[in-house]
Amino acid sequence: MIEVEALTKRYGSFTAVRELSFAVRPGDVLGLVGPNGAGKTTTLRCLAGIIPASSGAVRIGGHDVATDAVAAKRTLAFFPDEPRLFDYLTVRQHLNFVARLYGVADHEAIAEPLLAEFEIADKADQLPGELSRGMKQKLAIACGLLHGPRVLFFDEPLTGLDPLGIRRMKDSIARRAREGATIVLSSHLLHLLEEVCSHVLILKQGEKIANGTIAEVAARFGNGEAKVNLEDIFIRATGGSER
Amino acid sequence: MNASILRALLYLRLTSARNWLGSRLRRLRQPKYLFGAIVGVAYFYFFFIRSFSSPRHARPTNPLTGFDPAATFTLAPDSLAVATAIGALLLLVIFTVMWVVPAPRATLGFTEAEIAFLFPAPVTRRALVHFRLVSSQLRSLVGAALMMLFTNRWSFLGGNAVTHAVGWWFIFSALNLHFHGAGFTLTRLVDLGVGPWRRRLLVAATVGAVIVATFLQAPAGSRGPDLGTEPAFALLAQWVVDLTQTAPLAWLLWPFRAVLGPFLAPDVSAFLAALGPALLLIVLHYLWVVRSAVAFEEAAIDEAARKSERREGAETSGRRFGDRSPRSRPGPFALSGAGRPEFAFLWKNLLSTWPYFTGRILLLVATGIVLGATWLQRSPAGLALRPGIATAAAAFALYTLIVGPQFARQDLRNDLGNVDLLKAYPLPGWQIILGELLAPTAILAGLLWLAILTLALTLEPAGRNWAWLTPPIRVAASLGLGAIVPALVSLQLLVPNAAVLLFPGWFQTTRSRGGGPEVVGQRMIFFFAQTLTMVLALIPALLIGAVPFAIASFAGLQSTPALVAATLVASGLVLIVLLAEVAAGVRLLGARFERLDLSAELRP
Repeated sequence: MIEVEALTKRYGSFTAVRELSFAVRPGDVLGLVGPNGAGKTTTLRCLAGIIPASSGAVRIGGHDVATDAVAAKRTLAFFPDEPRLFDYLTVRQHLNFVARLYGVADHEAIAEPLLAEFEIADKADQLPGELSRGMKQKLAIACGLLHGPRVLFFDEPLTGLDPLGIRRMKDSIARRAREGATIVLSSHLLHLLEEVCSHVLILKQGEKIANGTIAEVAARFGNGEAKVNLEDIFIRATGGSER
Repeated sequence: MNASILRALLYLRLTSARNWLGSRLRRLRQPKYLFGAIVGVAYFYFFFIRSFSSPRHARPTNPLTGFDPAATFTLAPDSLAVATAIGALLLLVIFTVMWVVPAPRATLGFTEAEIAFLFPAPVTRRALVHFRLVSSQLRSLVGAALMMLFTNRWSFLGGNAVTHAVGWWFIFSALNLHFHGAGFTLTRLVDLGVGPWRRRLLVAATVGAVIVATFLQAPAGSRGPDLGTEPAFALLAQWVVDLTQTAPLAWLLWPFRAVLGPFLAPDVSAFLAALGPALLLIVLHYLWVVRSAVAFEEAAIDEAARKSERREGAETSGRRFGDRSPRSRPGPFALSGAGRPEFAFLWKNLLSTWPYFTGRILLLVATGIVLGATWLQRSPAGLALRPGIATAAAAFALYTLIVGPQFARQDLRNDLGNVDLLKAYPLPGWQIILGELLAPTAILAGLLWLAILTLALTLEPAGRNWAWLTPPIRVAASLGLGAIVPALVSLQLLVPNAAVLLFPGWFQTTRSRGGGPEVVGQRMIFFFAQTLTMVLALIPALLIGAVPFAIASFAGLQSTPALVAATLVASGLVLIVLLAEVAAGVRLLGARFERLDLSAELRP
């Protein structure tokens, strides 16, 4: 569902992502991890077609993001770390607006369960300014899910959520993966990724350090230890530093 | 003041300034930003700096008109008294407002970052006050330098660049210190149980009593200006001077005169003489502020959070500082899930502006115009008013067409902060651009339609030269103009939206504080670009639009029906050309939008 070949993103002389290749299949949840400045957000934004790659190719559901961006974007949803909302649109109006953009004719029938799932149904007529950070995050996610995307990109999806919200978000991600969605999520909360992700991709300074199922990566960096967690894997893989 | 705090403050300010300058200079490596900087620097040089290198008052007399700028704008010596009186009264108003309006508790205007680093630091409250005062001083110095650039061109002022700069520093410092002192004193009053309305009444009553007492003190014949004779301005000015020199108003205004003294000093000796009283006032103000400092931390935290929220709102939605918080309201029209996605942007962007821009209100106003024009037609007084109203409608239409796009910003200019969101939508770039253009186009076209309607109903051409402009032709021309207007407005709007896409770094800079010469250059470039676009777009349209009239003239068809037909056909042709130009512009901007990488553009 997601195929990435030699993806490179440069800003002038600085290379944020270098020759990155990987694939994610339907039902897989890929955890994108790495130290600060490793290129996780840049990678996600390239995958979602928000910023152009300097070179390489990204295909979402068979559509090349560079040459067939509209078709690719119809199948995906991108959730940034900071929920970006329109100040003057209420919760319900946000869903209405997004429905028109994606051509979701029966959006009200879809919106109501989403509002209920994210527990913001009682906030439907409120503006973003009246919502807490977590509520805004939930609204941004509800907007992204309205058109039933098959590919989901989450950048730090758990930021700002309370413990109950985190639990529900993890369940929601896992359920969508079971239903066949392809999911990539970036987070520093490694123990939470461990619960949700089937695969992991470790980045450092824009380069791939490791990629595979958690068991495969654990075997590679486990030094023969039987029980090694993602945090240990991360520290060993990255050498315990950003550089 | 604690020396380490001063060092920390200077480090913060100087490092921030150096980094700001560095990021601006690095951006100039891109030719488009470099070009803007060159235009901006040239503007500063020719309009401000050049006046330093040439003798003052040396602007030449116009050989055609004999107009001598220096002679015209140099005030007579007693005009200094007028300038002092008016300036002192203005300062009285500003200082009075400081006691009437402000927030219930002093906040000192700390930023969230300053609160985060300084409030938990081991520094005294007095040191924090000093921190803000020194910060304000840096701003006062920059403000004084900038204002000096402007006022140094006022040839009627005496003194020189140095006295003006120092004069402005005294004015800004006094305003700043008084603002803080008043804030602390008002906080103390609140703590003593004096509510805002009691305080406001007290201040207003005090100032009012001084003014009334001054009127009573003034000689009976000079309590009001005698404007019955010419020149009225001179008499009015003399009356103001006399009044401000009458006790007790003269006592109340003394501090303001002292603050203005250095700025208005006509020569160096007067400047030196004015320094003493002005310095004394600044020192007294400083002592007042430092000694009256009250607990401000809690209010400062609340205020900083509110400012941050407003700034965030402005960055994501284009909402300006000082705007009221948005309120939820129904959409301007029903937006179903199916249909052209461009209208979703129209719907969204209309929601972000005043609720008055609706079709219903447009119809109501149009009805009002028709009824008003009918009354004007039937009333003798109305007939006399019609030419003036027609002229005003034409001027309004022209102003709306040229300047309107700078004010109606419910487009990409407001949505730049959400560009990641927009780029994630499954729409080609041209559709997003077209959608973003719809709201300001609808607003401006609505206003122009009302102006055209007013013009059509009130225009009464007089004289033989205008005999051909019969009512049927006027109706046809109005309909034609009405049809063309949306396309013309869209063309105008393409330029500022192109600015956002081509120079997002500049655009972001102008939205936040602190620009630079390149931003001035940017504004100038785009004002010229907008004018040029309009001219270039209209040339082919008007050439093609002239064809039906040429054919009618060639065929000898000068009857009213023929001219009506020619007008309508010409309007249609002009509209087709303009729409083609808009379509080309939207396609070009759409392609640019698809390539836009804001993260690369905004890298410092």
